[in-house]
Amino acid sequence: MFAQVLFLMSAFLTIGCAIAVMVTKNIMHSCIFLLGSLIGVAGLYATLGADFVAVTQIMVYVGGIVILMLFAVMLTGGKDFVSRAQNLLGLAPAMGNKWTYGTGLFVGAVFLLTNVSLLMNVSKAYPVKNFGNEFPSTVSAIGKLLVKEHVLAFELSSVLLLGALVGAAIIARPRKQ
Amino acid sequence: MMGLTSYLVISLFLFITGLVVMISRKNIVAILLGIELILNAAALNFVAYSRYVTGNLDGHIFSLFIIVVAAAEAAVGLAIIIRFFQIKETIHIDEATQLRN
Repeated sequence: MFAQVLFLMSAFLTIGCAIAVMVTKNIMHSCIFLLGSLIGVAGLYATLGADFVAVTQIMVYVGGIVILMLFAVMLTGGKDFVSRAQNLLGLAPAMGNKWTYGTGLFVGAVFLLTNVSLLMNVSKAYPVKNFGNEFPSTVSAIGKLLVKEHVLAFELSSVLLLGALVGAAIIARPRKQ
Repeated sequence: MMGLTSYLVISLFLFITGLVVMISRKNIVAILLGIELILNAAALNFVAYSRYVTGNLDGHIFSLFIIVVAAAEAAVGLAIIIRFFQIKETIHIDEATQLRN
């Protein structure tokens, strides 16, 4: 019962905030709605029994990436920062116009129609069953997997993070006069 | 209610929303927001299949690596955006036409 209530709340939070990210005109509000959508995805991970992934999602995305994006929005708040229109398809310079929204909705509708048949047949294509309570806590199992079987990917991801951070610091350094 | 199909529907919806955001927006930060939505849809699919089809933890591991790669991508992308704003004084995507000023 509690899991179903958590699932419904997380699903509505995820979908509603994703729609709000799509239709709002202010980039600041868009970042805040993205934060709500990511929290909803973390709740969906919790209903799937993936506790470590849910906590990592909240720590990395909500605590790191969205804050970084808010900093980037505020640092690049030029002439496009304040939206000039309140309605959806009005004249806001950097947030898209009706042609780009039309193209995006058309591509989205085509993608949806091509995937509905796949979703209808997904229970026939795979032997779906619920492995629900097999992992009461996934933390120790994920730790053992990360240092035994997936140790090469683990080390490569640390190298990737080091390279990305050094590269970001070099790219965003102040310009020489 | 909580089956594999419901998670797949939510994931498909997140993917389509991210796709529409990426195509329709002209702000570079908003395009990064769409990329984050698409990566979340992929990670949610991995965890849902890991519970309902395979039954082991490989989907969780893959989801964690997706989160790591998303963090690195956001850091480099935002650095590029800040550098671009220092040069062009705007973050409109149609202004990004050259590799150097």
